[in-house]
Amino acid sequence: MEASLWARCVCALEAELPEQQFNTWVRPLQALEGAGALKLLAPNRFVVEWINERLLPRIGELLRDKSTGDVPIVTVEVGSRSAAPEPPPAAPVSEAPKRPRRGEGLVIGARLNADFSFATFVEGKSNQMAKAASLQVAENPGKAYNPLFLYGGVGLGKTHLMHAIAHHIREHNEEARIAYVHSERFVSDMVRALQHNSMNEFKTAYRSLDALLIDDIQFFAGKERSQEEFFHTFNALLEGQHQVILSCDRYPKEVEGLEERLKSRFGWGLTVAIEPPELETCVAILISKSRQFGMPLPEEVAFFIAKRIRSNVRELEGALRRVIANARFTGRDITLEFTKEALKDLLSLQAKLVTIENIQKTVADYYKVRVADLLSKRRSRSVARPRQVAMALAKELTSQSLPEIGDAFGGRDHTTVLHACKRIKALRDIDVRMSEDYSNLLRTLTA
Amino acid sequence: MQQLPLGVRLADRAVFESFLPARNTEALAHARRAADGEAGLTWFCGPSGAGKTHLLQAICAAAGRARRTAYLPLGELAGLGADVLGGLAELDCVALDDLQAIVGRSEWERALFTLVREFAERGRPLVLADEHPPALIGWSLADLGSRCAAAAVFQLRALDEAEQQQALQLRARLRGLELPEDTSRWLQRRFPRDMRLLYELLDTLDEAALAAQRRLTVPFIREVLARRGRA
Repeated sequence: MEASLWARCVCALEAELPEQQFNTWVRPLQALEGAGALKLLAPNRFVVEWINERLLPRIGELLRDKSTGDVPIVTVEVGSRSAAPEPPPAAPVSEAPKRPRRGEGLVIGARLNADFSFATFVEGKSNQMAKAASLQVAENPGKAYNPLFLYGGVGLGKTHLMHAIAHHIREHNEEARIAYVHSERFVSDMVRALQHNSMNEFKTAYRSLDALLIDDIQFFAGKERSQEEFFHTFNALLEGQHQVILSCDRYPKEVEGLEERLKSRFGWGLTVAIEPPELETCVAILISKSRQFGMPLPEEVAFFIAKRIRSNVRELEGALRRVIANARFTGRDITLEFTKEALKDLLSLQAKLVTIENIQKTVADYYKVRVADLLSKRRSRSVARPRQVAMALAKELTSQSLPEIGDAFGGRDHTTVLHACKRIKALRDIDVRMSEDYSNLLRTLTA
Repeated sequence: MQQLPLGVRLADRAVFESFLPARNTEALAHARRAADGEAGLTWFCGPSGAGKTHLLQAICAAAGRARRTAYLPLGELAGLGADVLGGLAELDCVALDDLQAIVGRSEWERALFTLVREFAERGRPLVLADEHPPALIGWSLADLGSRCAAAAVFQLRALDEAEQQQALQLRARLRGLELPEDTSRWLQRRFPRDMRLLYELLDTLDEAALAAQRRLTVPFIREVLARRGRA
């Protein structure tokens, strides 16, 4: 009965609040209903404040209207029903050890991505050293290289290798306590532990691991207290011959704001770089990822994408997602033509933004006139026609209004632009030459 | 005598049903998948008025029936501080509009990075929108730029004139309003391009028509707008 009371209250709020306010402040609320009380859980203090200041009286009224029995007392606080109520630092966990061993069963670390295994890691010249080292560490944790330090630019596969190591260790020793933690998570876990006076649990949890994988340690920069704690954790693990694996976006010595003693310790084991993948590796990555998505790409398609996307694996992935989304939506096979069409927007946007200046220059080049002519008052056919073409293209390819386009063409009136658009449209229907010119220009500008 | 309109907002909200697909069918299909929790990181780009905000709110509305969601217009919230993004990782689906407002601000980019990472770890939909695609955003945090590069990017196309007419008619129909064709054409000529403006205008006209018990003829609209202009 109570549940429907809040639900009815929400319905009323949805009808009377401006939509955006409702979507921003009311939708994220979660209700806990108990005897005579309604506790609203909000994601953060801003939502709590907003509800308290702007909506609480109205919620009270609605509850009085809609309640059949006692009207519950409403409170708003930061929280979430799904999250376990303290103790800190509770992190989302899927791979919790089955039985607690050393350490009080306090579970740390993020969920491992099942797709990130050694089997799905595509090897090429740029990353074979890193993969080989990772495999060795995974097979002999604590013994091969300790710590293992992987560094390289964003989106090159460091996180993938770390997850692969964690999977591998666990497959061979299901009792192993392993935690993959982003360095930001380490920091926020620690802050929470400090707030809740539970640093001992925090220390025990981290120091009782068999393998600790910390991603993106550049995020430790400037956080002295976290570095201090991490330094001790790191030493404790190394002394106990437990494996530490670190990743960073640059060579450890180059991270500013990181203590020297940490930098030097990071170099005790093996430091290995991951370079941007070469074309063939990009192609292999695309084919592998597309198989994981259940929609394998033909090789020529993978080459097409790889050639056009910069050498960053995440961008390749973004393009792939886009192609697959289109294929799912249309139910069509992924061919080269299909891919060109699906990525047309993305590629033209990334290659260059189509601007009016850009259009003027392209049109001027095409018709062998000067941009200054297009902007001038001259009305001879040799200049006027290209000018009209450029205006029509500007209308089609940019989001500028007619007056804005007029302004960009030497301060012309918007009716002139409108006339140009109509004229060119009509000419394209009757004049093959014009039709071809226009298509060529369109292709050049959006290719 | 003027009848006061009821303080009730009619059913022309930013939901999927009121979104005219036009040349944005793929984006709409993907948005529906996101609302069903079947998409990951998603990015809508396109000019102002093309429907980004509409899609984002529609996703929240559709997903919000069963799950916990939030829509955040960053352009408006940027003044509050990056903690506005705090705790959102607990939600099932989050839509952030107008990313440009926080780009280059390190606290915000950090907070967004955390959010992107946590949504990726949990495989839940995080939907972002900005005029530009992620590759053209001047991120100061490269890690964030890299994560966003993996988004499924959809460019929304602004409606052309005929589509604008259809969209206006659709809105009017959803409110149970009769919008004669010459009236909608007149409106469009006078207030071109920005659908947001046209919809707001439709709101005003609807209320005025209800209060005056008049049909939405061009002379009536002129009268309302003149009154409003003077007010």
